[in-house]
Amino acid sequence: MVLRTGLLALLVVLGGTAAAGEYDFSIPQAETKPYTIGGRLEGRYIYHRLDEDSARYRLNYYRDAPGSDTHEWRALLELSGSYRQGIFQANLLTHHQFVDAYETDEWDNEIYEGYASLTPTAQLTLDAGKKQILWGKGYAWNPAGFLNRPKDPDDPALNLEGRPLLGLDLIRSFTAGRLANIGLTGLLLPVIEDWGNEDLGEEGDLNAAIKLYLLWYDTDLDFIYFDGQEQPRSFGFDFAKNLAENIEVHGELAFREDVPHVLLDAAGSVRHTREDQISWLAGVRYLNAIDTTFIVEYYHNGGGYDRSEVEDFFAYQEAAFDRWQASGDPSVMQRADQVTRPYYQQRNYGEDYGYLKISQKEPLDILYFNPWVAAVVNLQDFSFNLQPGMTWTGVTNFEFNFRVAIPVGPSNTEFGEKPDAMRPEIWVRYYF
Amino acid sequence: MNYKTSLMVAAVCLLSIIAAPIGGLCEPLAGPQILEQVDNNLQPGDLEMYRKIINIEPEGKKKEFVLWFLKKDRDKVVTLFVSPASEEGRATLRLGDNMWLYIPNVGKPIRITSMQSVVGGVFNNADIMRLDYSVEYDVVDLSEDQGQHLLELKAKTGAVAYDRLKMWVLKKELVPSRIDCYAATGMLIKTLHFTEVKDIGDGVVRPAVMETDSPLYKGYRSIMISANLKKRSLPDEVFTLNYLPRVKDLR
Repeated sequence: MVLRTGLLALLVVLGGTAAAGEYDFSIPQAETKPYTIGGRLEGRYIYHRLDEDSARYRLNYYRDAPGSDTHEWRALLELSGSYRQGIFQANLLTHHQFVDAYETDEWDNEIYEGYASLTPTAQLTLDAGKKQILWGKGYAWNPAGFLNRPKDPDDPALNLEGRPLLGLDLIRSFTAGRLANIGLTGLLLPVIEDWGNEDLGEEGDLNAAIKLYLLWYDTDLDFIYFDGQEQPRSFGFDFAKNLAENIEVHGELAFREDVPHVLLDAAGSVRHTREDQISWLAGVRYLNAIDTTFIVEYYHNGGGYDRSEVEDFFAYQEAAFDRWQASGDPSVMQRADQVTRPYYQQRNYGEDYGYLKISQKEPLDILYFNPWVAAVVNLQDFSFNLQPGMTWTGVTNFEFNFRVAIPVGPSNTEFGEKPDAMRPEIWVRYYF
Repeated sequence: MNYKTSLMVAAVCLLSIIAAPIGGLCEPLAGPQILEQVDNNLQPGDLEMYRKIINIEPEGKKKEFVLWFLKKDRDKVVTLFVSPASEEGRATLRLGDNMWLYIPNVGKPIRITSMQSVVGGVFNNADIMRLDYSVEYDVVDLSEDQGQHLLELKAKTGAVAYDRLKMWVLKKELVPSRIDCYAATGMLIKTLHFTEVKDIGDGVVRPAVMETDSPLYKGYRSIMISANLKKRSLPDEVFTLNYLPRVKDLR
C-alpha cells in the first residue's frame, strides 16, 4: 500500500497534472480552539392589519381599541459560547429581545441554555443545566413532544428556551443485523421558580422523561415516556423513514392519561373534566425533479374541541362583548378573557388539521432564494391560515425573510376570528 | 510444475497485483476492480478531512462553506459546518441510504434526502456526503475513451441519487477525471470534473478539487476542495443520531 501510494505520488509529480495557484487550499478554520463565541442579531417588523369584528380583537382591545392597524418592532440579540476541556464541555445561549408593539414596550432577557456536559466515552453523555428539548418528527406539530416549547414551523431557525434538567444519554451501535443503533435518553426535570419548568408543576416537583431511540430497518423509531406530580402520565411514539431518494414519511402517536380538560358552553359555564387523550400525526415530504419540496401533514389533536364546541366558545364571547357594550361592566370581559385562556393557550385548539407547505429551491436560477407557501387548515370548520413567504441567504452570514399571514374563514371559525386580517412580517438576521 | 517455476509464477503474480493498478503491466483490471481502486484512492479507509465548497454565480459572485468531514467504513459519514457563522454547528449524518440534518436552533435532527441540498448551488447532499461508489453502484460496462477507462455504473437501488454514472478514470492514477450523472429518465443532471491530483494529507494522493456544472443550473459552478486529510478511526457510536449534536466536540 505504501509502495503503491509512493509510486502514485511519484507519477503524479512527474506527470505534472496539477496546475498550482488556481485554487486556495488553505483552510484556517481547521485550527481549533477550546472555546467558541458567536451569536446573531435580528431586526423584525410586523404590520398588523386588524379585523375589528373578530372575537380575539374584541377580547384583546375592548377597552382601548387601536383601530384598523398596529405596528410591531422587535430587536433581538442572542449570544452563544462554549468551552471544552477534555471530556468536559460548558455551553451558554442568552436571549435579549426588545419588543415595541401596541400596549407593549419591553425588554426580555433570558438564559435560553446554560449547561455542562461530560462525555467520558462516545457511548455516554451526562448533562446538567438548562438545555433545549425538541422531540418528535412532525414539522408543524409534535404531539409526542411532551416537553417541547411551542415552535413556529415556518421559521425553524428560531431559538427556543431550554428546560432545567439532569440528563443521561446512552448510545450503542451494532454492525450486524437490522438494528443499527440504540439511543436511550433519560431526563429529570425539576420545577425551579424563576429559572424554568414552571409550566410543569409546583416548586420542588420532579418530572421524568425517557426516550428510547432505535434505528431499525432504516427507520427511526422513538418510544417516549413522560410523567410528573402535576403532569399526566404520557406515552409517545414516533417514526421517520426515507422511502426513496426524494420521499420521507413520518408520524407521531401520543397517549396521555387523565388530562385536565376545560369546556366552555355558550352561556359561559365552565366544566372541568379529566380525560384520556390520543393525538396523532402523519406526514410526508416529497422533493420533485425541479427541486420543489412538498410537506403534507395531518394532525388529530386529542385535546382539541370539535365544531360545535368551538361554535359555543365563540357564541359566549360574542354574548360577553354585547353585554360589555350594553352595561360597560369590564368584569364581563375580564371573565371572558380568563375562561377562554385554556383554548387560546393552545396554538391550535381544534380537533383536526391539515398542513401543506410548498417551497421552491432557487427558482429562476436565483441562488439561495427560497419562496414558499404554507397553509394550516382546520378540517372541522375549514377555516385556514394561508402564509406565503420567502428567504434569501445570498450574502454571507445574513438571512432575509418575508412572509404574510392571511387568516381566512367566516365568523365563528378558528381562523375567521383571528385578530389580524393580514400580517406581513419582515426580518433580517445577521450571524457572527 | 516444479518448485522453482511455482515460485517464479507466484512472484510474477505478486508483482502484477502491486503494479497492475499503476501500470497495467499484466492482466487488465476488470471494471469492479477499477471502481474499488477509485474508492480506495479517493477516500481510503476511516478518515477526517476538511472540505471547502464554493458556489460561483455566472457574474462571478462566490459563497464559501467549510465543513469537517468524517468517514468510517464504507457507509458512515458525518459532516459538520464550521464556516460561515450562519451555518456553524449544522451537522449531517449519513448511514447508508439514511441521511439526517441537525440544526442547532431546531434542536432535533430531521431526515433529509439525497437529492436535497444543505448548501444550495449545484452540489446536493449525495455529493457532499458521498459514500464509496462501489457501495451504491454496479459496473455494467467498461470501455476506453480518450486514453482513459470509461466505466458505466448503474445504481444498485432506487434510493441512490443518480440512476446512472459515466465515469472516466485516469489509467495511471486510478482516480476519476470526470463523472456524468444521469437520472433514471436519461437526463444529464450534472457533470463532476476532478482536478489537482496532489497529497491532501497523510500521504493520500488524489484529486483535491471537484468541480461541477449542470445543465439545470446554466452558468453556475460549484467547487469542492478537499484538504487536511488525516486517517482517524472513531467509535461507531459517533455515527449516530444521538451523537450528532455533540460531534463538534471531536474536532
